[in-house]
Amino acid sequence: MSELLVNPWFLGFAYGFPLITVLMTVGGLATWFERRFAGRMQNRVGPSFVGPFGILQVLADGIKMMQKEDIVPRDADKFLFNLAPILPVFLVLASAATIPFTGYWDDTGQWQSWLMVADLDIGILWVLALAGLMVFPIWMAGWASNNKYTLLAGMRGVAQGVSYEIPLVMAALVPVVATGTLSLSGIVAWQAENGWLVWRFPIVGALAFILFFLSSLAEANRIPFDIPEAESELIGGVIVEYTGLKGGMFLMAEYMHTAVAAALAVTLFLGGSHMPGLSFHWALGPIWFVLKSGALFVLIYWIRWSWFRFRADQLMELCWVLFVPGSLILVMLTAVQVWVETLL
Amino acid sequence: MNELLSALAAAFPDFIDAETPDPSGPMVPASQHIAFATFLKERGFTRDVTVVGSHWPAADEDSVGEYEVGTVLRQPQPGSFPFMWRVRIAMTDTVPTLFPLFAGADLQEREQFDLVGVQFGDHPDLRRLMLPEDWEGHPLHKDYAIDTPHAPWR
Amino acid sequence: MTTRPNPHLDIDNYDADADLMALNMGPQHPSTHGVMRIKLFLDGEVIIKAVPYPGYLHRGVEKLCEKLTFVQIFPIVDKHDYVAPMTNEQAMAVAFERTLGIEVPRRARYLRTILAELTRISSHLLWLGTFTLDIGGTIGGGASMMMYTFRERELILDCFEMLTGSRFHYNTHCVGGNRHEIPDGWVAVVKSIVATMKLRVPEYEQLCTGNEIFNMRSQGVGVISRDLALELGLSGPNLRASGVDHDLRRDQPFHAYDEVDVQVAVAQGGDCFARYQVRIAEFYESIRIVESLIDNIPEGPLSSQRPVKSTLAVKVKTGCHYHGIETPRGELGTYIIGGGDNKSASPYRLKIVPPSLHAMSALPYALVGHTVSDVVAILGSLDPIMGEVDR
Repeated sequence: MSELLVNPWFLGFAYGFPLITVLMTVGGLATWFERRFAGRMQNRVGPSFVGPFGILQVLADGIKMMQKEDIVPRDADKFLFNLAPILPVFLVLASAATIPFTGYWDDTGQWQSWLMVADLDIGILWVLALAGLMVFPIWMAGWASNNKYTLLAGMRGVAQGVSYEIPLVMAALVPVVATGTLSLSGIVAWQAENGWLVWRFPIVGALAFILFFLSSLAEANRIPFDIPEAESELIGGVIVEYTGLKGGMFLMAEYMHTAVAAALAVTLFLGGSHMPGLSFHWALGPIWFVLKSGALFVLIYWIRWSWFRFRADQLMELCWVLFVPGSLILVMLTAVQVWVETLL
Repeated sequence: MNELLSALAAAFPDFIDAETPDPSGPMVPASQHIAFATFLKERGFTRDVTVVGSHWPAADEDSVGEYEVGTVLRQPQPGSFPFMWRVRIAMTDTVPTLFPLFAGADLQEREQFDLVGVQFGDHPDLRRLMLPEDWEGHPLHKDYAIDTPHAPWR
Repeated sequence: MTTRPNPHLDIDNYDADADLMALNMGPQHPSTHGVMRIKLFLDGEVIIKAVPYPGYLHRGVEKLCEKLTFVQIFPIVDKHDYVAPMTNEQAMAVAFERTLGIEVPRRARYLRTILAELTRISSHLLWLGTFTLDIGGTIGGGASMMMYTFRERELILDCFEMLTGSRFHYNTHCVGGNRHEIPDGWVAVVKSIVATMKLRVPEYEQLCTGNEIFNMRSQGVGVISRDLALELGLSGPNLRASGVDHDLRRDQPFHAYDEVDVQVAVAQGGDCFARYQVRIAEFYESIRIVESLIDNIPEGPLSSQRPVKSTLAVKVKTGCHYHGIETPRGELGTYIIGGGDNKSASPYRLKIVPPSLHAMSALPYALVGHTVSDVVAILGSLDPIMGEVDR
């Protein structure tokens, strides 16, 4: 029995199955939440008929999407066209595997992270690598659709994804340099013991957090960085030619990506599931985690529904002129501070 | 208005009568069209307002009928008024284009070519504007019945 | 004179090494403000030539007008500029009245002025909403802005409904005056609208100019120089944004504008931001004009003519007549060639001179050198209404 409990295949199934279910549900509920939230912002109601408060609207939308005819454009590259919608969902779910959702103080006063599918030693590398792969489905969909608009959107998406990868990685290096570990559970444990990174390293930590947050917005293609989507210019970006569930998979992956980006920012900079003085039982961890990432989630939607969109060249300029040098400087400042602290 | 008319009469004595002006605007020969517009543009009528074509069918079998092209300019300043003149040509002739003087005449003249059928000489890109390229006839001809059948839209 | 893009650039002999791509924007595109097509020739993502193809909404109104009498024309012209139908009717009414030399009672002129200014506010509201929609995204900040502007536009449409019985196609003007008497309480409704607008316009400014992204997207984009704007025949806010101080409300007054001091809003940039500035300034100006007139509507008859019993009641004399008024989009003119003898009740030729078509003709010049993202911003800022372009 005890052998089974440490078997990675069993663990992967036991944790992964609920995790996928929960994330899928969160992705669905996020659409409902966003529509209600946007409705309140815009002086209208939002979905309110299906189920209590319209919460089953997601289900109705899903059923509607399933009924749609599955159309593949005549001259499309059928293999890539069909593969593209599956990949982002897979990548997002896989990157969620290393996030610890709770933790507790063990008898020796150490913080033990818990409730994660895989406690990888190189968790942060895994997450960032998967985030880097997110440009592939975009480009595949853009190329395979055989449509000029999707092609332009794919080009923009790749340019944006590859560019914002750099500040994202650099900003994620700040916690790595500060804590000395690449493991997400290790980073959370360090934060629980030494204080959250946002204020443990004054200014630098906060700046790195903002940088990471904005870069992950860009990675998740959220306004003001949703150039590849750009409904008013490119109609809908790479998903123009997709019908029914295939289009829905892209949208769902986008929502889950937003949720995972918020969760990752919480893990790296806001102490994960740790709350000072209130973490006396492991069951409380998920509550703090959901509260923190929920707040970031709302912030993302708040930004989305009140800001306008950058132009592609302005976006690139912002990245290469401000974000990339800024993130390099932040990593160096962190290193200096860590070095000074070891001297003291 | 009166000053303008006397200046015009001095410059174009052949067809401008400052004493008894035509309320519909002077009739200008097609050869003088560009010179007339240039003269007005130098006098402050810098804003292109419109180009209007109309079809005047032949009274008898011998003639081909005429096109009348009215042009309206305006000066962009207080006390502004529109100034218009007309050019009449036989249906087989062309009117010189105003495009080199007024860039806006491009689409205006294309529209009149499309709907009325006036040929504008030297126009850089005289295509149909409103109707599809394979449309037959010019709808604003007086002999074009309003219920003329046309091929179904694709 | 600075060098101008060539709208008839020869693509075949452009540059053999360049990677050119032709991109059809429209007719089924969400941001073309109606149904139009722009054929873009892209070098990379930079536009080197843009060819507009209007005509998808062409309904042959000018042919139709030749068959109708002057009285019957009024209900049709509502449908041209479907964003500001009130001023379409007014343009037609003013053209007929000036041609026939008919005097309009002062009460009707005041009412028309108020209606024209309210229409200007509602039209600019729709413009602001759709412009921000274009640069802000249909699922994003732009949509929020549009919801806010439509909230206020609704008030104005309700107020028009109270007066005329319909929200959009009013048919309230006729030759010689207005058809519908001012109902009880209408003045108070207009005052409340004006009071609301006074509070809301600064909010719009906060949401737009308060956001650096909006400024980045609109400043220096789609510059139309002063000379080019005049040559193209731009009018209204588009012309004034290019630095031309020209407004028919002041320069050739119609309605009761000779009794009002109209402050013309002018901006110098010629770019999308200047066009935005002019329209925002016109909000305040329209509010001011309505406020100064609403309390002083004189008593008296609303029309100088007897009610029309026959569709043949109005006859226009022979000859060519051109008259234009300032609508929210610019100078909407009517070129009438009267019927053969002085008795005809339908025009020989009637041309509606649409400001939107002139705005369209600016596209081949303004788009060149920008990217695909800017197409929607420039097109949106020029505010063409396809119903009016195509007629």
